[in-house]
Amino acid sequence: MKPLSSKKRERGRNAFLLTVLFAAAVILSIYFWNRNSAEKEPYRILFVPKVIDEQNDFWKALIEGAQAGAKEYGAELILEAADAEDNHRMQAEILYRAIEDRPDIVILAPTSYTQVTEAAKAVTESGIPLILVDSRLDEDISRSVIATDNIEAGQKMAECIADNLPENPVIGIVAHVEGASTAIEREEGLRRGLSRYADKIVGTVFSNSDYEQGYQVTKELLQEHPDINVLAGLNEYSAVGAARAVRDLELTDQICMVGFDSSLEEIQLLESGVFEGIVVQKPFNMGYLSVETAVSVLQGKKVPESIDSGSQAVTKETMYSEENQKLLFLFRETQN
Amino acid sequence: MKKRTWLLRFKSIRTSILVSFSVLIISALLIFIAFSINYTEDAVIENSQDYAMQLVEQVNGNLDTYIDYMGNIAYMIIGNQDAGIFLKDGYSEETEDTDQTERLAGYEAQMYHSEADNAKQRLTEQFQTILDSRPDISSIGILGENGKYLINRDDVTLNEYVNYKEVDWYRNALEGGDILTGEVKASISPSHVQNIIKDSYPWVVTLSTPIVDRNTQEILGVFFVDLNYSSINSLGKNISLGNRGYVFILDDEANIIYHPQQQLLYSGVKTECIDEVLEAENGSFVVKEKDDSKVYTFRRSEKTGWTAVGVSYLSELMKNRESMQNAYFLSGLILFAAAILLASLISREISRPLKQLQQSMKEVEKGNFDVEKIVIDADNEISDLGTTFRIMTERIRKLMDENVREQKEKRKSELNALQSQINPHFLYNTLDSIIWMAESGKNQEVVLMTSSLARLLRQSISNEDEIVTIEQEISYTKSYLTIQKMRYKDQLEFEIDVQPESLHMPIVKLVIQPLVENAIYHGIKYARNKGMLMISVRIRREKLVITIADNGPGMEPEVVKHILEKPDRGGKTGKVGVYNVHNRLQLYYGSQYGLSYESAPGAGTMVFVTIPNPEWKEAEDETFIQ
Repeated sequence: MKPLSSKKRERGRNAFLLTVLFAAAVILSIYFWNRNSAEKEPYRILFVPKVIDEQNDFWKALIEGAQAGAKEYGAELILEAADAEDNHRMQAEILYRAIEDRPDIVILAPTSYTQVTEAAKAVTESGIPLILVDSRLDEDISRSVIATDNIEAGQKMAECIADNLPENPVIGIVAHVEGASTAIEREEGLRRGLSRYADKIVGTVFSNSDYEQGYQVTKELLQEHPDINVLAGLNEYSAVGAARAVRDLELTDQICMVGFDSSLEEIQLLESGVFEGIVVQKPFNMGYLSVETAVSVLQGKKVPESIDSGSQAVTKETMYSEENQKLLFLFRETQN
Repeated sequence: MKKRTWLLRFKSIRTSILVSFSVLIISALLIFIAFSINYTEDAVIENSQDYAMQLVEQVNGNLDTYIDYMGNIAYMIIGNQDAGIFLKDGYSEETEDTDQTERLAGYEAQMYHSEADNAKQRLTEQFQTILDSRPDISSIGILGENGKYLINRDDVTLNEYVNYKEVDWYRNALEGGDILTGEVKASISPSHVQNIIKDSYPWVVTLSTPIVDRNTQEILGVFFVDLNYSSINSLGKNISLGNRGYVFILDDEANIIYHPQQQLLYSGVKTECIDEVLEAENGSFVVKEKDDSKVYTFRRSEKTGWTAVGVSYLSELMKNRESMQNAYFLSGLILFAAAILLASLISREISRPLKQLQQSMKEVEKGNFDVEKIVIDADNEISDLGTTFRIMTERIRKLMDENVREQKEKRKSELNALQSQINPHFLYNTLDSIIWMAESGKNQEVVLMTSSLARLLRQSISNEDEIVTIEQEISYTKSYLTIQKMRYKDQLEFEIDVQPESLHMPIVKLVIQPLVENAIYHGIKYARNKGMLMISVRIRREKLVITIADNGPGMEPEVVKHILEKPDRGGKTGKVGVYNVHNRLQLYYGSQYGLSYESAPGAGTMVFVTIPNPEWKEAEDETFIQ
């Protein structure tokens, strides 16, 4: 009885030991195999900004941010863009080509709220995930949107106005494109921030993102409402166009102006006191965060649907602070 | 049984060797791999830290040289009188309307003015030369406390919205500067946007130093050089610390002179361990982050007070680690396999001869003493053991053979004794009977008895063989019975019934006759009526059974029980005869053969002689075929 049971036990134990050895070998092999395959190819990220323009600080910074992110996460960044910000067809074509080229993920700054949706949808339907940066689409097809919280940015403009609020404020708004989501959100934020003064807004005009038009509509607005003493420009074109009009009409001292985004001209206008303040976005962060989010998506992590890349109000006094300098002035290869 | 742990108890040497080998090897390998991986990891980190330190020192060295060079330029400008003359002139020009100037008056003032013009001329030329030869200098100039300035080729105007006296680098220079560069004490700003020139906002690092009147020690203004930021940028940028690694530069107040991702730092998307770096000044440490670890290597420059920091990513340094680990793992596997193979070979070498020995011992146990079969395939202690075992077996076999031979000898001498034991008694009686018959003139009977006696004696003496046929044995018995019957006349009657097939079968000599003699003397002799003796020989399957039955008075069961036991000395002769026969049969054929008695008082006695049937197997085959 006893030797039989001990023999049985021994056989069982030998089998147990063998199984343990075998299992250990298998687990180790799988572990090593996984480790090797995990870091094989860098992620290929197709990055489609609205435009690639060396003179456009916003897009330049955004692309630099994306490149910094790609370097940081060891990803390959493929840059492609339409030749102009309003060439929706070309951007759509780039997207259709991407379906053939099959990058791991696409980061898109849509040139239009509606006109590239179809192409973007084709991309996601072909199984390539999509991340939106800077602007949104009319359909919710992206994994995440990295953009400035425009309502918050509008509120920051309102804070800037409130700090310099004249008695009996009469407020005018120069927006960029009627119906554009960013214009609507910034105005909404502005109105919220102004709270009880919101009903002092006497008119909203549109520059259609053109300096000349902005100049003209502002002049017309000021002729129509000569008592306007607060003016807000909701993007760079609108703000600069409006500021030129105010400067030419020599109303700088009478009107409190707040701008949006930055350019050399806008900075000089801020420096010279035409603008009381400007609100700038953080395009570098936007680009960086978009790549970071894309990598997270590819790694299978959960990402928030919407990421605010932040905005910053800058006044003449704070424009040369360490932090704001970087937001306002980009490094340029050619200096002097 | 001794108590041992369950894991270490094995039923065979082979498994125990295999298992303990495997366990030992695996643990040794694991330890070896862990050590080597750790060691290589440490070595890689150390190497990369050394490498990064070299790079960082190189950056520092470049920076020092660079700053020194700029310091030399500053010394060249403020070392001579021109800057002072130019600024002083500006002072007098600006206060032209005051009494002081009036007191200086006419010619002297004019002289000074033209001298200042000449100084300005020379300074502009110098600036021009410097700017032409150094593309990394974005602007150079002197700014007076009195508002007089000379910048670059004297072709720029100041930014009207900025008062240069309020900017940091100007104020720092007035306070004397804190870094000795070459011959002058200067102040070096962190990277910033230079905004004092109209329509120009370059990123620069500004070196600024005060301009002091040699006679009055009065501070007249500030000399500054704007170093094109891209040149400092390139100092950091050109350093390669892997694909993702980078270099950044801090000043002593934790301001960032250069960082490739400065914006991310400001907005808090990224953090850098600046405080730790400044606290430690020189050295290296590793910071664990959620996905990866960063290795910081840094050195503070004595000259500028700046700290160059190299950041490299551990995962990148360890890029080769996977292949290295795989190599370790693979070599470990191969070693393991080899070790297991070796272990199984060794254990087989040990256990195989043991198994052979065990097998041989089993054979011996069964009674097979064939020493030629004891072959041990080994050259070690076990083969010695085998040899010893073989010698022992050999000896046992010899002893057994000797024993058998001795037994045979003994049996032979016993038989001889038996033969000589029968004869004399019987012979006297028979001879008496012959005499008696001869006296009575019974010639015919005398002839029959004498011839029977002669046959009996011939058979018993002449035949030297121990084995005879049934036929011979029966014929011998018949001769004996004939003589006895004549002696006892009508008192004895006998019947012999032999199965013809058994006639040629062998049987040990002198078995039946002594039993018959015994039956006559102890049975028939006391029979109340006519004595009857029945002898039959029958083949019973594997046995041959000879039955001798008499109708004598029979025996008590107690007597039957002890009839086959060895008699005491001086016992009845008949008993001696029975015991002898039984003993011989058993010695010759084995213990399952011999005699058996059946008897009861008044019912006569039957004795059965059982011997093997030598033809049994053939007979069985025959029946089987049928």
